Amino acid sequence: MSHIAFAAPWILLTLPALPLLWWLLRVTPPAAKREVFPAVRLLLGLTATAETPAHTPLWLLALRMLAAGLVIVGLAQPVLDAGREIGGTGPVLLVIDDGWAAARDWPLRMAAAQSALDRAERAGRPVALLTTAPGPDAVQPAPSAVMPVADLRPRLAALRPKPWSTDRAAAEATLRGWPNASVVYIGDGLAGAPEFGPRLALIGPVEERDDPEPPVLMLPPISRADRLVARVLSTPAPAPRDVAILAQSGDGRSLARVVARIPADGNEASADIRLPPELRNRLARLVVEGPPTAAGIALLDERWRRRPVGLVAGQATAAEAPLTGQLFYLDRALAPFAELRQGDVKTLLSRELSVLVLADHVVADGPEFGLLDDFVRKGGTLVRFAGPGMAEHPDALLPVKLIEGDRQLGGAMSWTQPPGLAEFDASSPFAGLSVPSEVKITRQVLAAPGSIQLTQVPGQLPNDPVWARLADGTPLVTQATRGAGRIVLFHVTANADWSDLPLSGLFVDMLRRLVEQAAGVAGTDADTTPLRPAETLDGFGQSGAPPPAAIAVAASAIAATVASPRHPPGLYGPEAGRRVLNLGQGISSLAAAGTVPGARQNTLGADAQERPIAPFLIAAALALFAIDLLVSLRLRGLWLRPALLALVLLASPARAQSSDNPNPALTTRLAYFVTDDSEVDAVAQSGLLGLSDYVNRRTNAALGPPAPVRPGTDDLSFYPLIYWPISTSAAVPSGAAVQALNDYMAHGGIILIDTRNGGSGEGFAPGTDAALARFGAGLAVPTLAPLTSAHVLARSFYLLEDFPGRYAGDTVWVQRDQDRSNDSVSPVIIGGHDWVAAWAIDAQGRNPYATLPGGARQRTLAYRFGVNLVMYALTGNYKGDQVHVPALLERLGQ
Amino acid sequence: MTTALQAEALGSRLPPLLVAAERVAATVAQGVHGRRRVGQGDSFWQYRPFVAGDTASRIDWRQSARADRAFIRETEWEAAQTVALWRDGGPAMRWRSKAAPVEKMERAELLLLALASLLLRAGEQVRLIAPGARALSGRVGVERLALQLAGSNDDGVPPDVVLPRHARVVLIGDMLSPLDQIQTAIGRMASIPVIGHVLQVLDPAEASLPYAGRIRFEGLGDATHALVPRVEGVRAEYTERLAAQQQGLAAICGAAGWGFATHRTDHPPESALLALYMALAPDVRR
Repeated sequence: MSHIAFAAPWILLTLPALPLLWWLLRVTPPAAKREVFPAVRLLLGLTATAETPAHTPLWLLALRMLAAGLVIVGLAQPVLDAGREIGGTGPVLLVIDDGWAAARDWPLRMAAAQSALDRAERAGRPVALLTTAPGPDAVQPAPSAVMPVADLRPRLAALRPKPWSTDRAAAEATLRGWPNASVVYIGDGLAGAPEFGPRLALIGPVEERDDPEPPVLMLPPISRADRLVARVLSTPAPAPRDVAILAQSGDGRSLARVVARIPADGNEASADIRLPPELRNRLARLVVEGPPTAAGIALLDERWRRRPVGLVAGQATAAEAPLTGQLFYLDRALAPFAELRQGDVKTLLSRELSVLVLADHVVADGPEFGLLDDFVRKGGTLVRFAGPGMAEHPDALLPVKLIEGDRQLGGAMSWTQPPGLAEFDASSPFAGLSVPSEVKITRQVLAAPGSIQLTQVPGQLPNDPVWARLADGTPLVTQATRGAGRIVLFHVTANADWSDLPLSGLFVDMLRRLVEQAAGVAGTDADTTPLRPAETLDGFGQSGAPPPAAIAVAASAIAATVASPRHPPGLYGPEAGRRVLNLGQGISSLAAAGTVPGARQNTLGADAQERPIAPFLIAAALALFAIDLLVSLRLRGLWLRPALLALVLLASPARAQSSDNPNPALTTRLAYFVTDDSEVDAVAQSGLLGLSDYVNRRTNAALGPPAPVRPGTDDLSFYPLIYWPISTSAAVPSGAAVQALNDYMAHGGIILIDTRNGGSGEGFAPGTDAALARFGAGLAVPTLAPLTSAHVLARSFYLLEDFPGRYAGDTVWVQRDQDRSNDSVSPVIIGGHDWVAAWAIDAQGRNPYATLPGGARQRTLAYRFGVNLVMYALTGNYKGDQVHVPALLERLGQ
Repeated sequence: MTTALQAEALGSRLPPLLVAAERVAATVAQGVHGRRRVGQGDSFWQYRPFVAGDTASRIDWRQSARADRAFIRETEWEAAQTVALWRDGGPAMRWRSKAAPVEKMERAELLLLALASLLLRAGEQVRLIAPGARALSGRVGVERLALQLAGSNDDGVPPDVVLPRHARVVLIGDMLSPLDQIQTAIGRMASIPVIGHVLQVLDPAEASLPYAGRIRFEGLGDATHALVPRVEGVRAEYTERLAAQQQGLAAICGAAGWGFATHRTDHPPESALLALYMALAPDVRR
């Protein structure tokens, strides 16, 4: 269903004026071009008779009329796929649920709201806005004043979903007595106050936009011994749904991804997240995959982290002994859900530790006592097991005062039977654990009478010092807080010597509760410390500064606090002890909202986007006018060749200028130093060209044409190898040139210096030796040695015995092999074989310079030396090990 | 502007024109021959036997000595005649279209001077149709003519000046003035009597009206203008009118015994000059 609405329909009234325009266009001929013409007398009589065909051609007229019509229709601002009219009369009340459930498809809701505003604006009706969630400044929801649509748009644009629930009851209260109006209700699909819908229906005709997809709420996870159980809550839907949950660390990386399946017509699902302790402790949040919302995030704090537990035995030697060792049962019980560490007290406390278990370990006065006391006072949990040692020497780090010695219960010489355990008190952390009857306590240490006192804080549960008792009421597990931490004493041993407790499953559960309790760090029970909001989430789950209305919440109450403007979800408390307040923690069930009675239902996002087509119409009209302009020019005789030419010129892409000096970084190329002796330079150019050609044909190296360079002026760093023909007529390199050459050699470049007189006895290039001495005075040339067939240069591609150029027989000098600088790659090669002359080719590909003493073999060898040189320059000492192959083979006994 | 300055300005302009005129004339002169008639002149024509009635002074004794009979040496007829020249100097002549290489005026002057050069070489006398103009002869005649030409700028039709009887007249111009004006002028001259030749020099744009679209045509020199809404539509009619003008001219000239020819400035001047020169020569075939 697409129909067209006009935002400014009165402009269409000008359409009947088009025939007038038609007439005007017809009677007005186009402007004349001026032309000087001597024979004008002959033309004089012709004007009158020829005026009729000068009328604008009919098709051009039609084109202009079409363009004018397009402009008129475009100015009327037609809108395609316009929504249906809002029913009723009077103002329009736009009601938007902006609680947490609305965040997931907020853009759709905004689009729906905009559409409603568009329609109201077209109908010229004023609008009021009611958002049902309390504002960030904790004000109750109330409808805004009735105002023109244009004034409401900025308000709507500033609207954001809130990270807390809607308060439809309060919203309903403010709607009582609202005048007759039309209502557009964009609901979030969650059940709220039951009287809200009927109230809307009372106001006037309601158009309800509902969300087909139920919202998903992330509940705080449950920490199990070996896993984290992520829970999601949703409204029941007829089809099962999969919700992907990402477990993310504090830096936003996803450490795990699990999928919870919400069954059909079910509203809750859970998924286990199993991670190694190290990774699990790094989890900072669980996030529902998809659009970020506050509801899709469960923040984690210390309560969900696994705690490292330290184990210390009184007798370290036999502590691990199977079945009898003091730590054997502790190890087995704690290992599945806690990170266990063993060692002495000092070592263990040198790292972060949550719980320290001392099994019959007598704390000596002195440094150890101080360490342990400090650990407890800073929030650690110290769990102690009694034993013979403790029975002999009770120390000060105990929750109760002990009677020296132990109590034997039952046994062959006793009338009494070993007692079992009593049920746990409700105030005990072990409350709810079932007590197996077979657990019997045969020996224990006893608390001194009167040392156990009930501390009672008004308004809170009593901080019971006794967490477990025997059936006869004797304390079995006592505890006392000390500083921020706690000391827990099991009055029995950690092995089966004194009781059956370590053999039972209860032992595991008790220890786990203890460790979980330790996760709560500073006395969760009675801590009323106000926790200041530190970072809170907005409706899209982005953390930021808390809103001004946010206030502190007591540490003891944070777990039960429901997210609200006063307490937005987020992180609370000091930097060291952040506590989280999750949106999901106050919500136990979700129900789908019923529909507003008598409302016109419309699914969110189902309607097509309204498309204003005015810009397209105007653009089309402009295009037509442009065509008309060209045609008019043509009719007036102003032929558009210049215009077309200009267009073509504009359209033709600017060609990249082929430069004479191409970017040297783009191709690997050899280079030679310009000597300003044109003959020498020409030989160098053609020689390096011939060598590059040869290398390109014989190897995988791809060399570009050689480049002439001037040290000190050109950047040498692009060239792997630079050929330097020594010419007596060349100028001595300047300081900058010497500096550039030294830099080049120091950074891996290779210079081939050719005196071009080798074997000729200075016959062909007299004076170059002296010139080389002059030129090279400032060069940092390393210690040189003759080039032998053992050198890498003789192995880098071909196996060479000698290195002829145009001449042969002279010594070639390279860096001494022992010199390990520059990866054993010689930065300079000095010889006089006039290699470039041997390599040189002319335009026909022939070698213009004869070799001396001669022969094709010498030229081939010259080329091969060139290839080796290029390979040496390109690969460095890569072939160095190849030199040692004979030695290696010999060593292998081949 | 003083006369000296005028002369200087003219002098700077004249030599190229004169050179061009001489060049054109030289091209044409090679294709022109003598009158091929016996008459008064310097060049030898033929020997003929002495007949009774010939004066003895005409006997060529040298030739007669070679034979038994007396011969009379006849020279080719060379009658020095005054040719009066005129070119239209109106502002309409100082115009050229984009397609034309030169202005009509320039072409007309070139033709006039070249013709004068040819005529002077042939021993004729030339003069300008202008008040107070005198017949010129000899080599320097062309330059004097050019100087006189610079001072003559009558528009449309030649001025009424006294011409020698039986002189020849050459009128060069675009001849786009109303036909009755032209007829008056030619009739006046024909009654002297003189015979002559009319050369219509037209710009190619005037000949074919190569414009398109809606154009306001403006005349030169006067405020006449014509707004043509669609030039393409009136091109045929314009061509008809031009043809009618030319037919009218031809008829006027024919009635006076004059010749009429047309020339376009985008055509080479040599052909027009040759035609003009040939038209001036007495038609032997007649």
